[in-house]
Parts: sequence; C-alpha cells; structure tokens
Amino acid sequence: MGFAEADLDGQVGRAFPGGTYTVSPWRAWLLADTVLADPPSLQAGGEQVAHPLFAWMAATGAMGITWDELFSWFGATAADGPVFGEHETTLHRPLRVGASYRVSGGIVSAQRKVGRRTGAFDIVGYSMDLHDATPDDGRAGAHVATCWNSIVFPRRDA
Amino acid sequence: MTAAAVEVGTELPGYEVPSVSAEKMKTMAALLSDPTAIHWDVETLQALGMGDRPINQGPLNMGYVMNAVTAWAGGPDRLRRLRVRFLGNVLAGHHLRVRATVTALREEDGARLADCDVVLEVVDGGVGGEAVVSGTATVVLS
Repeated sequence: MGFAEADLDGQVGRAFPGGTYTVSPWRAWLLADTVLADPPSLQAGGEQVAHPLFAWMAATGAMGITWDELFSWFGATAADGPVFGEHETTLHRPLRVGASYRVSGGIVSAQRKVGRRTGAFDIVGYSMDLHDATPDDGRAGAHVATCWNSIVFPRRDA
Repeated sequence: MTAAAVEVGTELPGYEVPSVSAEKMKTMAALLSDPTAIHWDVETLQALGMGDRPINQGPLNMGYVMNAVTAWAGGPDRLRRLRVRFLGNVLAGHHLRVRATVTALREEDGARLADCDVVLEVVDGGVGGEAVVSGTATVVLS
C-alpha cells in the first residue's frame, strides 16, 4: 500500500534529532578529491578552508537520522529511487577543516504532484542550520550556514 | 581577470569534467553513508529500468558548479550562496561543462558580491549541451 497524500502534511514540522559534524582532515581531503577540487594539505599547519560542499555534507551527515530513516518517514526506501530536487546553500562564513558544527532542522514542506511523463511524485523540503560548535576558539555558537533541500519520491503506485 | 574588470554579462572561464568517474561515486556514497544503489550498483539500475551506467550524486554535480564559481572568485572561501535545481541525471562517463554569467554586482556589509547564473551541461556527442543543473550563485569578489 502506497504512502497516502494525506500523510504528507503530518510530516511537515517534524524535527530532525540533529547532531554535530566535524570536518575531519581526512574527510576534507577525500571529499575535495571526489568532487575534483584541490584537497587541503594534510601536512600544513594553520587554518584551512573546507570545500563549500561541506555545508551540505555536515547538514545531512548530522541531521540525526539515516537516509533510510528519512525515506521511511515518507513510506519509501532507497530502492524506490528518491532523487534530489533543489538545493540552496547560504554560507555566512566559510567552513573550516577540523572544525565542528552543530546541526538542527527538519521537514519544512511536502507536496504531491502529478507529471504527464513522470506520473505521481512527492516533493519534500527539509532545511538545516549549522552553528559553529568548535570549543575554545571563540567562534562557538556562530551561525555558519543554512541548507535547504528538496527530495523527490516517485510514487509509481499512487 | 581582476575584480575591477568584472561587469554584468561577464562570462566566467569554462570549467569542464572530461569524464564523470563511477569510482568517485563509490567514494562519495561511502562519505555520505548513502544507501542509494543507483550510484554504484548496475544490477539495481537495470531492475529499475534506469540503464547500466551509475548515476552521479546530485551533491557532486553541485560541487562542480561550486568549483567553477569559486575558482573564478579566488578560492573556496568566496561562495556566499548557491541555489540549484536538478534537471536531469549525470551518468558515469558523461562529459560535463559549467557555464556561468555575472547577472548583478552589489555591495553587502562592505563586501563586493557578484550574482551569477550557472548551468551544468552534458556535452557528450558534440550536440548542444543538455542542462542537468541550473541555478544562481553569489560569490565575494573582494
């Protein structure tokens, strides 16, 4: 039995447990290499800027639930082929290699649509804020970034 | 190009990904703890009727756009905002190109900002590019 359109509204406003994400140097290196950017040096001292994609990485990596759990909130699994819809990153300051970020947020919208080619699908919006959580560096608590995203769930059985 | 020479209509230098790597998708899936198998399992793709070429993660496509605008602006610390819509799939082996054009110049809190239209295109086969990501970006020029 498919996920009912009426059930969508009940998920709007649902908060993620949240968490903390650290831009570990190894992760900063691998992510930059994977996205074809110059990796930060693992040997250099001092502060280094992390790739801006880390705003999204941190937001989704520390929302406090797995992708499978998020999909299950909408009666779906990874095998249903959920895909990215839209994304917006707003950076108030650059993310730093080695820094930690507190993530909070949740579901902000959910809507069923029907496309002529695609059939029925649900568009779910979720948003997270990142605050600096690096202890003892004088920046703890600063609002660093906001990430808004939408994810599209195909509803082949709707 | 110096920041002073930038004007509305300025086209950013071209940024290309000659061939999207299926191996990078596997690393990205691990970094994300992303169980979505269409990024790395051909059998799942075939079962879903989605062909046999792994589909690049949306964040990677977004990251190429970030690379293009921040390389032009002066570094990864220059991005202020990126909003994108995902229009289509990027498959392993695709040749990609980012095009970006300055649409506005403004001052905010003492910083000189450039707003840009951005698009990521698949340019395989010599035909006109098919947009797979489009949106807007704001970068700090100085």
